[in-house]
Amino acid sequence: MAEGVVFDLGYQKHEGERLGRAGAVSALLRDGLRRVLGIRRRARRKVLPIMLLSIALLPAAFFIAFGVIAGELEVVSADMFGHAYYFDLTGAVALVFIALSAAELLVPDRLHGTLQVYASRPLTTVDYLAGRAASMAILVLGFLWLPHVVLFIGRAWVSRGGFGDYVADNWSTLWQTAAASVVYFLAFAPLGLVVASVAKRPAVAAGALMGIISVSGPATEALVDSGTFQPIGLLALQHNPGFVKDWILGDSTRTWIPEKAGFDPAASLVMIILIAVGSWAVLVYRYRRLR
Amino acid sequence: MDAPLIETTGLRFAYGPIVALDGVSIQIPDGRIGLVGANGAGKTTLLKLLLGVLPSQTGTISVFGIPLDRDMLGIRSQVGWMPEGACLPPDQSAADFIGYAAELGGLPVRAARQRASDVLGIVGLHEERFRKMGEFSTGMLQRAKLAQAIVHDPLLVLLDEPTAGLDPEGREEMLDLITRLDEFGINAVVSSHVLTDIERTCEWIVMLDGGKVLRTGPLTDLSTPDEVEVEVLGDAGTVAKLVEAAGATVTVEGPTLTVRWEQGDAFDLVRDALVEADAGVKRLGAKKTTLEDVFLSTGEEASDG
Repeated sequence: MAEGVVFDLGYQKHEGERLGRAGAVSALLRDGLRRVLGIRRRARRKVLPIMLLSIALLPAAFFIAFGVIAGELEVVSADMFGHAYYFDLTGAVALVFIALSAAELLVPDRLHGTLQVYASRPLTTVDYLAGRAASMAILVLGFLWLPHVVLFIGRAWVSRGGFGDYVADNWSTLWQTAAASVVYFLAFAPLGLVVASVAKRPAVAAGALMGIISVSGPATEALVDSGTFQPIGLLALQHNPGFVKDWILGDSTRTWIPEKAGFDPAASLVMIILIAVGSWAVLVYRYRRLR
Repeated sequence: MDAPLIETTGLRFAYGPIVALDGVSIQIPDGRIGLVGANGAGKTTLLKLLLGVLPSQTGTISVFGIPLDRDMLGIRSQVGWMPEGACLPPDQSAADFIGYAAELGGLPVRAARQRASDVLGIVGLHEERFRKMGEFSTGMLQRAKLAQAIVHDPLLVLLDEPTAGLDPEGREEMLDLITRLDEFGINAVVSSHVLTDIERTCEWIVMLDGGKVLRTGPLTDLSTPDEVEVEVLGDAGTVAKLVEAAGATVTVEGPTLTVRWEQGDAFDLVRDALVEADAGVKRLGAKKTTLEDVFLSTGEEASDG
């Protein structure tokens, strides 16, 4: 029988390459993805992201199935149910996902003192926030856009004109839905990160963001309807991205509050960008100690 | 000449009206350095300034001979920090988090995972490396904190109260680990208000009090080998009078005399006095000056001056 020999190599110096700042940011990004999706965490941490993604994909799956059946029965056109309406349907779920992601990305680092570890690594405040924001961008854009890609492929599949013809005629839908997803991301994510940067518990941060955004609609609508101050319509936080989304997709799924207040979609887009830039400035100030 | 490991000149930092550090100028060589001082002396503030976490209001800092304001991130990639407070996420395994900490230090993914495993073995957490850190005892958490501080193979590690909250056994193990950092080629600045920990582990000290440097230098310079301590069986007062008559300085604390004699060997003087007083001896030896003695005497001198 062969004998095993155990060698105690002791402490080994790292003689290989060091990736410096870029490596640190890349590590942050990957950590953010794992954290939000609950990867290498307890099973219960995976439940919510999987559930939310399933809810977001469910309508696409349903309408593809319906399209197949309808197409076979030849009772109705399979291209019913547009992408613009799909955003409205999944917008609330996306808001929940964004609120939870933002809270998960920032709150635990402060709660558990892990920021002190980041402070001792080759990272600046902007690096830390950029790494976290990049994780969030990948996840949120994936969350928002993936159902549209599934719906697009499904519609191409059940199309009477054939898959190839459908893709050739409607390819612009892909970039339009991608652009609309970016708008939703910009409208909610930076604000979500700001709320998470001051909250003491992830659940509080998520709840506060959903509360602020949900309340902004009825509150501003009441003021717009009363004719008190029309520009307040641009603070209907959930309506701005919807209005811009309809503009990008060339559709109109409802009358949006900024529209009611007399603004065009470009004004809503500017408002979204201003809030995003302002949120970023607040975040950099809050985390200035990382330097 | 090699640049000092750390050099500061005229360092000042205040939290609003409270001055934490005032005019701190030090030159620290390679090795294990003890940063001692009472709570609130400015130890943690100095460590944070060395990392660049806090901006110095006046003065300059150089680490490895490089000015901190010229290449803070370059310096940080070669420095590890073990903070006093909690810094470990409870929902992650030690292997995952320590590997991540190595990646944050700039190591490639594969090397980071390998080093995490190695370093967790060195700090004695090999068996527990896949457990969530929320299940760790205080001793295990301190070891994991040390692991995250050295996992990226830094040249310098800053340890803030590394034995805080540890039981005697855990404290001994942590001090042994700190002593071993030399073998790894890692310099260490150990901040502690437990002076015996510093005596056990360090070769050089920086003593802070009220944000000012009280004393700095090699630990060996602090001892006073010409003092003798004797515990007398019998009449300690007579023995004290006899040695005093010979011109020695004597401090009496119950049956224990501390004798300092400039003119000759204090051991001979004490021996002769014991014989003459017909007293016995329970314990006799060179007086060991502890860091605590130095700290207290230097503190008194500073407040008198």
